[in-house]
Order: sequence, then structure tokens, then C-alpha cells
Amino acid sequence: MSDWDFELLEKWDDKICQLAKQHSLDWYPILYETCDYYEMIGNMTYSGMPTHYDHWSFGKSFERTHQLYNSGTQGLPYELIINSNPSIAYLMLENPAYLQILIMAHCVGHSDFFKNNLTFKHTQPNIVVTKFKNYKKRIQKYQEDPSIDSARLESILDSAHALQFHNYAHYKKREPSADLKKQYIEKIKLDKDNKYDNFDINQIPLEHDYDLLGFIAEHCTKLEDWEKDVIMIVRDHSQYFIPQIRTKIMNEGWASYWHYRLCHELDLPEKYHIPFLKSHNQVVAPHVGQINPYYLGFYMFKHIEKLYGMEECFIARETMHDESFIRQYLDIDICRELNLFTYAKFDNEYKVADVSDEDGWRHVKKHFIKNIGINSIPKIYVNNIGAANKLYLVHDYDGRELEFTYAKNTIEHIKTLWQSNIELKTVHNKKIIRL
Amino acid sequence: MSIFKKHPTSADRSVADRRRHKEKIERAIKDGLYDIVSNETIIGENRDKKIKIPVKGIKEYKFIYGENSENKQIGSAKNKDISQGQTIGKTQKDGNTSGDGGAGNEEGVEYYEVEISLEELASYLFDEFELPDLDKKRIKKIFSEKSQRHGYRSKGIRPRLDKKETIKKKIKRKLSLKRIRKANDSYDEAERVPFHEDDLRYRHIKPKQKESSNAVVFFIMDVSYSMNQEKKFLAKSFDFLAFQFIKHKYQNVELVFISHDTVAQEVNEHEFFTRGNSGGTLVSSGLEKCQEIINHRFHPDAWNIYVFQTSDGDNWSHDMSKTLVKASELMNVSQMFCYIEVIPQNVLSTMLYTDVNSRLSINYQQISNQKFKMVQITRKEEIWPSFKELFGAI
Repeated sequence: MSDWDFELLEKWDDKICQLAKQHSLDWYPILYETCDYYEMIGNMTYSGMPTHYDHWSFGKSFERTHQLYNSGTQGLPYELIINSNPSIAYLMLENPAYLQILIMAHCVGHSDFFKNNLTFKHTQPNIVVTKFKNYKKRIQKYQEDPSIDSARLESILDSAHALQFHNYAHYKKREPSADLKKQYIEKIKLDKDNKYDNFDINQIPLEHDYDLLGFIAEHCTKLEDWEKDVIMIVRDHSQYFIPQIRTKIMNEGWASYWHYRLCHELDLPEKYHIPFLKSHNQVVAPHVGQINPYYLGFYMFKHIEKLYGMEECFIARETMHDESFIRQYLDIDICRELNLFTYAKFDNEYKVADVSDEDGWRHVKKHFIKNIGINSIPKIYVNNIGAANKLYLVHDYDGRELEFTYAKNTIEHIKTLWQSNIELKTVHNKKIIRL
Repeated sequence: MSIFKKHPTSADRSVADRRRHKEKIERAIKDGLYDIVSNETIIGENRDKKIKIPVKGIKEYKFIYGENSENKQIGSAKNKDISQGQTIGKTQKDGNTSGDGGAGNEEGVEYYEVEISLEELASYLFDEFELPDLDKKRIKKIFSEKSQRHGYRSKGIRPRLDKKETIKKKIKRKLSLKRIRKANDSYDEAERVPFHEDDLRYRHIKPKQKESSNAVVFFIMDVSYSMNQEKKFLAKSFDFLAFQFIKHKYQNVELVFISHDTVAQEVNEHEFFTRGNSGGTLVSSGLEKCQEIINHRFHPDAWNIYVFQTSDGDNWSHDMSKTLVKASELMNVSQMFCYIEVIPQNVLSTMLYTDVNSRLSINYQQISNQKFKMVQITRKEEIWPSFKELFGAI
């Protein structure tokens, strides 16, 4: 049925790898697994991770993708590759040969990005698959433990998921409070300006703590050990995935840049070349009213290459993430060419707010940065623990208000974990409120 | 340089998580059921009819920004003209929810559309309930037939051929042949042992008889003038629910529908749930009709009898004593006599002024019979709880 076999793929893979080496790409060995569309949806459900703990939300995600796929509203991604050494990538059996070649070239770009980009430094690609397997086993063990209420296990997972992206990704890595305390004792010793005169060295936390899951696991006295373990497992998962959220545009842009370039240099026979071009154009087509990260990233790398040379592209690929990338390279020309604009909901209508004209493009860029990757998630920090163990949280208000129903329900999730009262200070209808 | 391999297809990876998600959805369906069962459009519908029901999705809450003018999103509009203030879309919420006039930080509810038949809906609803006190009556027993697997046989029809057992049989024969050949030194490894007709094994199916009891259920509904749309809707909803429950649980149950104003009539299911009458009320007429049918067709010695009477509780006061007598008589022959009074909330207050003697519920209260149950329904939200109260605690 299909127009390829492993032998054919191996032949093209050799060529791709040779070319990529000549261009100084440096990637992990790639393990390609073939699977059908149904398995592909299964793999997508767990972000391609072959060892991922179980939770009903993944069942929900599967059903949704499956439904959308079957109704024809959504295709499946051409490629799925995980950040590990070796990188595991999936090739759908239904895809024709030219598309597999495109995907393989694309995957080399991703794997190179995973291996070299600084954002991924702490993701432990060598051991991540095994590590997640252990996590999965541990959660399974708790599930089977007769002394553990499985409903409680599920609700801990539910609640931890609600907070999974509230961790150090926003700022810096969280330090255990004991270490932080030592640092502050030093600071106070060296303090000459009486800055710390009214500073309470015993307060918890000493600094605003944005790592909600980490904070709860460390400071909640009511949690059992297994519960803390589950929370930390969820936290570790999201810390592994956050770099991918933070580099979506760059990562896809880089991979698209390279599949495009490599496929051109491969001397594809005409029966592959024309459909390849067609597929490539689909992948990097602009989506009206949205941002297609493939398109934007691809366009920007081409733009950077033209303006500053290939070396600059490699520097960006190593040192930047989407936020710094956009800050550095999104200029008025790109904004104009892509006709970027901002929009918002005014009463019951979505209206264009800023367009990329002489003045407007800076606003567009500002709001783009505000929404990029993890920045689209509200920033919430722990301010202090009050009487009766009450947890005081503060929302870093930047003009955007929280969705009210969601906020209230998320607070319930925090209560499930913290098991004492919670207060969240935020702004609603332009007034400061405490939920 | 890279490695290629087939994905290990051993298991459908997310199957457990999907099952758990489905369980949660089912629970959500159950929780939202009163909305579904009391939806006018399903009343009187065929059991096979598929109905689409919206189920509130299992939300995964997290902190997100609300949609408002401060929360600007980015889009691209390559090769298109756009200008500031241009409308590019409307919110999906329909107009009637915009009345709150807030800043628009509220999120719409996420719905799944689940398509199920009434039959399936019934199994969600009723699997934990039973009709009370189903006595085994002496004379007429109904047997329902059910097929059951019953071992294997060497003869049978092709579709029932069991490949696994057949192969087992063949392997057995091959091994014993090998043993024999080895014993008399004529063993040859290359010898083929093809399937033989004696290897074939067929699944055997035996009909099993299941004993079931006889039951007849009477639905009596007041369709007099005082039963306005709203009351009728509540009454029908409840009866429809009870009807679906019984149909689902007891295949051999006979159902009798009686509607009455001042005279009673036996009607069919469709008429019962869809027709509207008008006129005065003589509750006793419905009960009398019920008794008459019992006498003719359902001898209490052979049948379990259940009576559901639905009314707004208004009756002519001079008919009350007769009604009470008839009700008591019915209770004596039945397993359960259930009276459902529908009084929409807004009517409750005016009710206080009506003549006590014409209130069925007040008069019925004098009856002390274990078989007698009474529920009052004032809103559609109460239908399901009342139903549970009647059937759940058994």
C-alpha cells in the first residue's frame, strides 16, 4: 500500500544526516517509530512520552483529538518528537514517502535544538524516559496501595495539574527555604544601609514564591509523604515540558528552516519534490487571525540569516527562547510583512486594537511578548502564611484580570492540597479584591 | 544513522485514562439528569430514538486571564487590510447572557454533546433502583429465555467453530502421535500433522430459562382543566421517568395508562404522554377504572400491581370520601400505591386558601398503609430527587 519501506527511509535518512553534519547541526541519535493514526493520537496524548503516568485528563484529551480528527476539523501533526537522548520520533504509517523525508529532516532540526538550546539545559534528556517510567510506577503503586484512597490520589493529581505551570519557569529556580535563609543571614550581616532592619528572618517565604507546587510540597504540614511525592512528580513533569512551551516559535521555526533547506539540497526526484513543496507551504502558511509558530519562526530565521548571517541564527538557536527572540529580532519590517495586529474583546465583539503601522507595531510587539508561551499564564505568588495556617496568595496584576470562575475553582484546588484557608489578592472589575 | 522500528502495538495506551474520563462524564450525566429527563422534547419519544444531550465537560480549572479589552491577543492578517477598531468576530455566547454587563471576565461553559438512546439513558439512570416488594406470585410465571455458553462439542455450525480449542486439540493429537512414533522408532520430524475433522471444536450454546415475575403498572393521570401546562409538564415528566424505569428494568411488565377528568379512559402510551384534556375532576373515576381493569385482566393473586397516580391535588370535595375508599381498596390489592402531587411553586401560596376538603394530599394523609407513598413536586428540579426517594432506598 505505502510507497516506502524501512530500507527506503534509511537511505534518505543517511543523506539527510550527512547534509545536516555538513551544516554543523549537532543532534541526538533519533529513534523513529512507525505507528498508525490511532496510535499517533495516543502518543500525542502523552506529548510523545512513552512513559507517562495515567490520569483521566489524558483520556479526555485523546477523545477530543480523536473526535476532531474524525470530523475532519483537525489534521494530525506531521511530526512528533520528544526531547530525549536518543530522541524518539513517530512516523505515521499513512504518510507517503516524501512526507516521511520532510518529517525526518524536520526532526533533525528539533533534535539539534533540544540538544543545543540553553532553555533545555536542565531537562535531563539522557534519563528522562527512565525517570518518567519510575514516576509512572510510583503513581501506579499508590493507586494499588490499599491504605491509599484512590479518590484522594486522583484529586491530588487534579489539583496539582491545576497549578502545574506555576513554578520557577516564570523567574528563577526555587531554592529550599533553609538555603535561602542562610543567604539572607549573610545579606543582613553585610547590610550597611539598614535595608533589612525590619526584615523578619523567620518569615515564610523569605521572597515571593512563584513555585506554588514546590512551596506547598515543602511547607504544607498536612500532606502525607506520598501526597508530596505526587505533587513533586507533577511539578517535575511540567518543568520538563515548560522549555518546549517557551521555545515553540523558535523550535518550530528552526526545524522548518532545516527541513526546507535540507530537502532542497537532497536532490529529491520530481515525484517527491513537488508534493514536498506543497506540504512545506501548508506547514508554514500564515493562519489568519492567529500566529502560526511554524510560519513566524521560519520567516524570522530566514530574515535573521538575510540581515545578520547564518552564524547569528546559530547563536539565537543556542542562547534564546521565544521571549528574547521576539524582543531581539521582531522589527517593523516583519510586523508589516506578516501584518501583525492585536485584538481584544470589547463587549460582545472582538475588535482590532493595534495594527503594525509606524507607532502601532511597538504596541503589537509589547502585547505579543506579554502573551508568548508561559507569559500567557497569570503569575501568582505566595506572599505569606498567616494565622491558622492561612495561605496568602497574590496575583501579579499587569492590567489583565483573571477569569473569575476559573480563579475561584482553582482556589478550591489549592485548598485540596493546602487543606487550610486560602486568600488570593487580585483585581476584578478594576477593583482590588480578595478571593 | 537513525534507527527505525515499528511502534510496539501491544496495548491501546490511553485506554484506562479514557475509561476513567468516561466514568466521570457518566457521573456528570447523572448529576445533570433532571435537566435531561424533564426536557419536554423527549417526553413521549420512542425508546430507540437517539437524543443529543449536552453534558458539561469535566473542566480542568487553572488560572487564566479573562477575555476583556485589556487582554490583547495577537494575530496575523497577511495580505489583508485591517484597521483599528474593526470588528473581526463576535463572542459565541448568545445575546441573552450579556445582560450582566460585567467586564466580561466570565467564561462560557464547555459542553460535550453525547448522543445516546433513551434506552441507554435509562440504564444510566436506573441500574441501582428496584421496584419494591416484588412478590413471587403463585400461578402465572413468565419465563424469559437467555442463551448461555455451555462447553464445547465436536459438531456444530461453522460460525461457532472455536479456533483456539481446535488448535489445542490438534496439538494434543500431534504430541501423542509423536510419542507413539518415538515408542516404535518410526518418528520423523518432517511428518506433517494436518487438521483432522476430529480436531474441530464448536462452542455449544444452551438456552437458559430465567424466571421472572409478573407485574402490571398503572399510570393514572388527572388531565382536567386545572392541570395547566406547567403541572401537566411536571406530571408527565415524572410519569415518563417512572415509565422508562419500569420498561428498562422489567421486560415482562404490563403497562396500563389511564387519563381522567370527570370520566376515566384507558389510553395508549403515546396518547397518555401527549394528549391534553379539559373538564372538571373526579379522581375516583380514575381509580375506579383502574380497579375495573384489575378485575378483568390482572388478578391480584397472579400479578404484582403498582399504581402511580398523578394529580394537582384538586378534587371535588364530595368525591373525596369515594376516592379514599377506592384508594384503600387499590392499596389492598397492590404492592405499591404511589401518589404524586404536582404543585408548581408559584401556585403554592394561593393553595392555602382553597378548601381543605378538596385537597387530595391532606385527605390521603389519613391513610396509614405501608404500601402508600406520596410525593410532592413543585419544580422540575425535584423530579429526580423524588424519584430517587421512591425507588432508591430499597
